[in-house]
Amino acid sequence: MKAIGKAEFSNFVDELIADDPREVIGVQAKSNKFAFDPLKSAEDLRLDYDVTILPPKKYFMPQRETLVKYNTNEGEMTAVNEVIPRIIFGIHPYDLIAIQQMDKVFEETHSDENYLAKRRESVLVGVNMKNASEWSFAHTMGTATTDSGYDLMLTDIGDKYAVEIGSVKGSELLEEAKSQLDDVGMEEIEKVREFKEELPDKFRDDPEFDPFELPRLLSEYYGKDGFWEENAEDCLSCGTCNLVCPTCYCFDVKDVNDITLTEGERLRTWDGCMLEAFAQVAGDENFREEKAARYRHRYMRKGRYMYNKFGDIACVGCGRCSEQCVPDIADPVDVFNQMKEGTNGI
Amino acid sequence: MKPESVKPKVAFFDFAGCEGDQLQVANMEEKILDLIEVVDVVNFREIMTERSEDYDIAFVEGSIATDHDAERLQGIRENASWVVALGSCAAIGGINSIRNSQPYDLVQDRVYGDDADKIEAWDVAKPIDAIVDVDGYVYGCPINQDEFVHVVESLLQGKDPNIPTYPVCVECKMNENVCVFARNPEKNAANIKAAVDNGSPAESGPFCLGPVTRAGCDSQCVNEGTTCWGCRGLVPNPNENAHQEVLEKYGLSVDEVINKFNLYFGWQQEELKNEQ
Ligand code: SF4
Ligand code: SF4
Ligand code: SF4
Ligand code: SF4
Repeated sequence: MKAIGKAEFSNFVDELIADDPREVIGVQAKSNKFAFDPLKSAEDLRLDYDVTILPPKKYFMPQRETLVKYNTNEGEMTAVNEVIPRIIFGIHPYDLIAIQQMDKVFEETHSDENYLAKRRESVLVGVNMKNASEWSFAHTMGTATTDSGYDLMLTDIGDKYAVEIGSVKGSELLEEAKSQLDDVGMEEIEKVREFKEELPDKFRDDPEFDPFELPRLLSEYYGKDGFWEENAEDCLSCGTCNLVCPTCYCFDVKDVNDITLTEGERLRTWDGCMLEAFAQVAGDENFREEKAARYRHRYMRKGRYMYNKFGDIACVGCGRCSEQCVPDIADPVDVFNQMKEGTNGI
Repeated sequence: MKPESVKPKVAFFDFAGCEGDQLQVANMEEKILDLIEVVDVVNFREIMTERSEDYDIAFVEGSIATDHDAERLQGIRENASWVVALGSCAAIGGINSIRNSQPYDLVQDRVYGDDADKIEAWDVAKPIDAIVDVDGYVYGCPINQDEFVHVVESLLQGKDPNIPTYPVCVECKMNENVCVFARNPEKNAANIKAAVDNGSPAESGPFCLGPVTRAGCDSQCVNEGTTCWGCRGLVPNPNENAHQEVLEKYGLSVDEVINKFNLYFGWQQEELKNEQ
């Protein structure tokens, strides 16, 4: 563990913005919320944020991404992978854990170079949570802290940041701040320990379940149609709970041509299993036509299917879906608690 | 470039509407040069004076509100291989259908005053597919130029255009906007509490029709800091009841909710009711 004074840390960030060829990203205020965005000055970096509107997955799997460009006149087709190397400041532990889950998905199934190249070229600077969203239940999900997934990890210990090194990428980045870095003593180590000990109080205390019983609970509830219909009744099929989720990775692929039909590109864009057309196939057959079926599917993915395939509970408790669902029906704690309590639905 | 003879001929027509959608096409600047490379425009009041009754694709703007309109539209349908609704008035009834829920006499009186008895119109304004078969839709008030290009390109290729069936929220989230319903949490909390305690909200709250409105505009109004008014019409299976509850919860009165829904959805709501 190292430590750096806060003023020195700001200088370090400003120097990176000025001199490093990579794009420097950091969490910033976006009116009354927060978002990851390119940093213009260290002043704008808000390491005390609670949660961002979108998770940092947008940098590895952009909302819209060109995969292929083609020209029909010349019969040309070119694979496209636009990689912008980035240093990303301020990722909370739950998002770092989510990124590790996404890495498995894109690496272990079909090795998706568009995702993986962007990941390789990014440096992830995490920060332990000073504040938590009132919706977050990361502590319950075991994601309030992490020992992996970061290149560097910061903890606010008063007038300094404690800095943990997670990788060579991380230590190389620190080279640029070498003269301002100190090795730590017991005082700093104690402060970091205290910081982590106080963490649980920042989260919701209403979850009644343990994450590892979710696969069994979900399997018991799979066939209880009334339960899902009741919970999904007010669903607007707006996909918000998918789009804002750090572990949702589904995409759609479509071709966009210019009007003369000579040039075009193949795009991939974010998609979500809550959208009505998600499971619609040729011939207009839709194998999850009812909103309750889609609603159930999302929970199955979060708490059961991903566990069975990758060994991960794919809800990291960030609370984004809970907060941003307009009719307020997407809170996983509410649904998991109902299962735990034995609610049956009608 | 394709030889002159195989280029499809395109014509534009307007009914009850403001011609704002044709203006969007006329304002396409360099893209319009690409357009005339692939089609022959034979009828387009906004940019030319010539007229022709020989065309393959008819873009129709505006709603249908009189017998005369309907006859003219039927004529267009007979001439054209493809009829495309251009803009919300033609595609969904749009703004014109605000009046559909109001007494016809009152509407006529308000619009034409003393001349009201000289006007013979239907008591409802209809989208063009209430009269004839329609092969394609370009939604929006006004339309989005890129989507217009996409619809033309798809027609020429003989494939279905890729028009979203999901709501505006999807694009809004992708653009990482602060949701209209999250812009003022203190006021919202007070409203929701007042609604629970006294049965009615303290003051009128935020509204956004994004959750029930068809996407495709890249959530442009919310991006600019306002709200979605629903100009692209309802998604195919809207959960209107749930969204009305949301709007009421955040502080809109029942009448305000009805007014918001009537701005663009007048005709579509009738249709949905008839289906049920
Ligand atoms: S955010 Fe809410 S309304 Fe939207 S799809 Fe998810 S559960 Fe349904
Ligand atoms: S399901 Fe909801 S709370 Fe869980 S990780 Fe996804 S957005 Fe966060
Ligand atoms: S479209 Fe409206 S309701 Fe939907 S996310 Fe955007 S602001 Fe919120
Ligand atoms: S945000 Fe709503 S009102 Fe604005 S253009 Fe899109 S559909 Fe129309």
